[in-house]
Amino acid sequence: MTLYLLCFALFLVGLYGVIAKRDLIKIILAVGIMGYSANLFLILFAYKNGAIFPILTGAESVPMVDPLPQALVLTSIVIELGTTALLVALAVRLFQKYGTFDISKIRRLRG
Amino acid sequence: MTNSGMTVIVKTVTRITVWMILLYGFYIILHGHLTPGGGFGGGVIIALAFLNVLLAYGRQRTQEWLNIHLLEHIESLSALLFVLVGILGMVIGGAFLANFLSQGELFHIISAGTIPILNIIIGFKVAMSLFLVVWMLAGAKMSKGDTV
Repeated sequence: MTLYLLCFALFLVGLYGVIAKRDLIKIILAVGIMGYSANLFLILFAYKNGAIFPILTGAESVPMVDPLPQALVLTSIVIELGTTALLVALAVRLFQKYGTFDISKIRRLRG
Repeated sequence: MTNSGMTVIVKTVTRITVWMILLYGFYIILHGHLTPGGGFGGGVIIALAFLNVLLAYGRQRTQEWLNIHLLEHIESLSALLFVLVGILGMVIGGAFLANFLSQGELFHIISAGTIPILNIIIGFKVAMSLFLVVWMLAGAKMSKGDTV
């Protein structure tokens, strides 16, 4: 239970960054932290104490952790990579237009 | 930011380690059907090796060392090859991505049918696209008032 709460605290750190920060780069990093906490939460769901990784190695059979969330999180990491690249590209375009990363100064249509 | 790269210490270390990182990436890709890892993980490691060179030596030297157009072609070609393997499975095995090679013996390098081939293709795709994304973003002109 403590681990889940810590995971939620990590999510709140990301949420704080998205809401309170003005720098676009910091916002993108905060979105990344939120994604990491979601991934960590899914992996923690699948975790079993004393179990091994779900890969065939030829060793004797012992309990293994659930492989389904791991496959899901692998996909999630790839998608997160894509969204981060998109966010950074948008930030670059905004900097080219407005000359700043400060979202409180990006207010009016320009150019 | 005049694309001249970092200090001589960073350059020397990069010159030695980039080949080790590339070798490790290929190891992860080739053992993808036996150990944790696979096409995506190994591809990311290969892309990071290239990014190491880009950070240490700067844009100009990297462009001389790597053929960026060739990397773009490899990226596009690997997606095509993946579909080709899938359609080959459809023709021979009856379903998309069906296995049509010998499954071999368990825990051998050459085993598991088409999975190692697909791992290699995915590895190249991930490596090239990840490197090219950062390459394009790093090449964007960021001087203030550039396009305004």
